[in-house]
Amino acid sequence: MNEQEIIDIVNAIFEDSFEIEKEELHEDKNIFTDLGLDSLDIVDLVVALQKKFNVKIRNDVRVRNIRTMGDLYNYVNLLNKEGLRPE
Amino acid sequence: MKRVVITGVGAVSPFGADVGSLIEGIESNRCAIKYMEAWKDYVGLNSLVAAPAELKNEKNIPRRKRRSMGRMGIFAAQAAEQAVEDSGFDKTILNSGRVGCIIGSTIGSPEALMETFEAIIPNKNIADITSMEFFKFVSHTAAMNVAQFLGISGYVMATSAACASSLQALGTAFDLIRLGRQDAVLCGGTEEVHPTVTGIFDVLFATSTKFNDRPKESSRPFDTDRDGVVCGEGSGIIILEEYEHALKRNAKIYAEVIGYHTCGSGNHISQSNKDAMALCMTEALNDAGILPGQVDYISAHATATKQGDVEEALAIREVFGDNVSVSSLKGHIGHTLGASGAIELIASLNMMEKGVIYPTLNLKKIALECEGPAYARDFEKKNIKFLVKNCFAFGGINAVLVCKKI
Repeated sequence: MNEQEIIDIVNAIFEDSFEIEKEELHEDKNIFTDLGLDSLDIVDLVVALQKKFNVKIRNDVRVRNIRTMGDLYNYVNLLNKEGLRPE
Repeated sequence: MKRVVITGVGAVSPFGADVGSLIEGIESNRCAIKYMEAWKDYVGLNSLVAAPAELKNEKNIPRRKRRSMGRMGIFAAQAAEQAVEDSGFDKTILNSGRVGCIIGSTIGSPEALMETFEAIIPNKNIADITSMEFFKFVSHTAAMNVAQFLGISGYVMATSAACASSLQALGTAFDLIRLGRQDAVLCGGTEEVHPTVTGIFDVLFATSTKFNDRPKESSRPFDTDRDGVVCGEGSGIIILEEYEHALKRNAKIYAEVIGYHTCGSGNHISQSNKDAMALCMTEALNDAGILPGQVDYISAHATATKQGDVEEALAIREVFGDNVSVSSLKGHIGHTLGASGAIELIASLNMMEKGVIYPTLNLKKIALECEGPAYARDFEKKNIKFLVKNCFAFGGINAVLVCKKI
């Protein structure tokens, strides 16, 4: 899976789960202040990422540091390099 | 005690997403019941008919508010929004603490319940449960979601008594307002068609099973060929308001609520009991301070079950004799369970306003055992000054509301 494929999948989650237009999804966008997600949405984001990438990340502390879409793309890229098995 | 009036109504029904479509469907004597093709996959489910409502324009509710709503929550939010609009309320009053929200349903969203357990059970894994499933299936899902959606900060409660849920919501609101605890309450019920819900009735041999190939001929309240419940879905929300409060803002008044009673039968978990039904109707009339002979119309619960219709007919005959016009709307929209009391009261208020009684659809030949009450067989012109709404639920729970035209 290359970086662009990861971006496309992550963006699709934001479009489907959070009804955010694709045009809004840039790496510098803050997922809370710019895109309007809250702590409950993060629970659902984790569930969606787990399903899409077949990983278990519910207890991965790195998730708590994600603020921007760029942070999120980088995190999933890291998971990819780790073999998508963070736990 | 303060007087209580109805100043707003809203509905989502199998006929459409507003009150106008509900009334138009009934007045054109249509049946909203359909064959449910996908239900064939459920082994042992014998009833393959239902009256579904169309979910539409749900994205008009902002995602942050909508994400915690199941299908029934969306129906309730849409009906509540209509009711507020209809009432002409200044929306700032909703956040005054003097306006409440009491909405009942049999259970929370069965669709959300099923999705949740489908995710958990195969691997005993809760890690794939989204944050919102719980909020969709809790028992007070509609009340809390509507209150959040509209910013209501008064009493927020759910009445959960199966088919009597919405009438208990109305009765509770009536009590709160007449006691001076709230100035107004959005109240009613909501329900979702789902194979597991019909399945519960099916297991008890209480569903209609003979009309899968002729869905428009079911359900058949009080008819000799009736064979059980057909589940429907939707929501009815009614605004009850303190009379002087309504007068001050020059609100349209549909009717005055003058009496209510709810009681248990203490007799049987699923079978209706005519004595408890009669007691409930009598106590509601006593609360209203009127005599049975003054009532012009009874909107019967009558779900077309073999046993329930007989008990209700006997109870009506015992309390009212054979002079009061009676009809049931289950032939048009099926049994919307926890929503039925409010949806059918909204239709009854329309009858009161227009001076006409809507007949029971599919009542072709009155069952011998149901004979006695004066069933409306056709559209009847009648000045309705007093009407009675009945709801009788599993668990032997009865609820009756009395309204007066003013």
